[in-house]
Amino acid sequence: MSLAIHTEMKEAPETPAESVPFEEKVAVRRLNFYYGAYRALADINVTLGKNKVTAFIGPSGCGKSTLLRILNRIYDLYPNQRAEGEVMLDGENILSPKQDLNLLRAKVGMVFQKPTPFPMTIYDNIAFGVRLYDQQPKSELDGRVEDALKRAALWDEVKDKLNASGLSLSGGQQQRLCIARTIAIKPEVILLDEPCSALDPISTAKIEELIDVLKQDYTIAIVTHNMQQAARTSDFTAFMYLGELVEVDETTKIFTNPKEQRTQDYITGRFG
Amino acid sequence: MPAIAATPRYHRRRWRNRLATALSIGAAAFGLTWLVLILLVLVVKGVGGLSLAVFTETTPPPGGVGGLLNPIIGSLILTVLAVAFGTPLGMLAGTYMAEYGRYSKLTMVVRFINDILLSAPSIVVGLFVYEIMVAQMGHFSAWAGAVALALIVIPVVVRTTEDMLLLVPDSQREASSALGVPKWLVIRHIAYRAARAGIITGVLLAIARITGETAPLLFTALNNQFFSWNLNAPMASLPVVIFQFALSPYEDWQRLAWTGALLITAAVLGLSILARALSAKKVQL
Repeated sequence: MSLAIHTEMKEAPETPAESVPFEEKVAVRRLNFYYGAYRALADINVTLGKNKVTAFIGPSGCGKSTLLRILNRIYDLYPNQRAEGEVMLDGENILSPKQDLNLLRAKVGMVFQKPTPFPMTIYDNIAFGVRLYDQQPKSELDGRVEDALKRAALWDEVKDKLNASGLSLSGGQQQRLCIARTIAIKPEVILLDEPCSALDPISTAKIEELIDVLKQDYTIAIVTHNMQQAARTSDFTAFMYLGELVEVDETTKIFTNPKEQRTQDYITGRFG
Repeated sequence: MPAIAATPRYHRRRWRNRLATALSIGAAAFGLTWLVLILLVLVVKGVGGLSLAVFTETTPPPGGVGGLLNPIIGSLILTVLAVAFGTPLGMLAGTYMAEYGRYSKLTMVVRFINDILLSAPSIVVGLFVYEIMVAQMGHFSAWAGAVALALIVIPVVVRTTEDMLLLVPDSQREASSALGVPKWLVIRHIAYRAARAGIITGVLLAIARITGETAPLLFTALNNQFFSWNLNAPMASLPVVIFQFALSPYEDWQRLAWTGALLITAAVLGLSILARALSAKKVQL
């Protein structure tokens, strides 16, 4: 058994170095992804460490978001999209047809590029997901909502207008509402798909601070076009190019001393 | 010197623009004129007959006194039944097409057939229900009338439900699915909520449409001179009574027909305005 793991590690040389304490949470193995006949991801191997932030960088269309959308199988909403290979979450292959998708998505939360508050009150935006899994007295639900909003650093701004529409908030507040909504269900992994691309620098800074706090409790994967953001927020960085994962390593190494020439070229702005 | 404004090409374009604007205004005014004339004639001829008796007494024999109580109640019953049959069916079908079978062959087939049904002459619907219900049961009935009207409601509701659900952005579905919300709850709490105003508008427009339908009722609910709650018997309705009374040689019947026409028109106008108001303040995403 240990031998099998060992060979797998060998097949995945991108597994980060041992210098940072590292416990495997999500392991992607030999993953291929197809939109119809088009192969968007080719032979991806990458591991997300528990309570670590892993950033995915690379030029547009390189497959970063596609990879993220596999980790909670949100791609399953659409026909003709198909993943091959393995994605192990705590040792279970989530690509298995037996996987319960709703439970998976409760465990692996996702925040999207565009803030997507539901057309309901701020309170209900958060309570909506919570009510699905736990039936609880109103006082307890109130506590869950407050706790989630506090963790998302939004409580002070909305505590007096919990019954206002979620749509009435600013873009940055809406995005933090979406983060609050996600953590209210107590997931284990949080996927952030370019969460700051529609936000101003102040809101971006708030969300980056938030990521730093959240990683104490969650495993985080973030897709970003902003290399400074990757450098600031992540422990590990994966560089993707044309559907391949070129290199993954500790963030400091990727940005100071990458092994691959293509990574070097990208982070120094020579292409992409 | 304004070089561009001076070119002959610019002048020609300006004249063409004026011509097109004038033609558009003319066409709109031409259409509106008839609508205003229709409303005017209805009001002039119909208001005179309006009285409390219209709402409290049943249709009179020629030369007698009476009102439109039985056709008014009959129309309300038939409409309520038709909407009660047609709305759930139409909404479920529209939901299937937009949410579950968006990419399936069945949806394409249903959409095509639904479009045909949407524009099918209503007299054909009446004949169809006559064959499958009236002929089988051996008598005309309110049930048959309600089914005929429901067949007109269904395609309208299917169409609006599908269209309105397709307008709900997929990002909302993704966001709620990403919370682990099961599909049927995504539809109920997210998609329906966002599409609600549009779907209600569709139902109101369907009601407006069947309120004035005469042909399908002639073959199904027929008419009833007397007040009746019996759904298994013929039932009076405003359009059929208008049809019968307007063609009669009796002046008092003709007057009642005008009043009935005014009532129907006012109801349809009211529904349309309500539908407009609802769709104007649609929930924005």
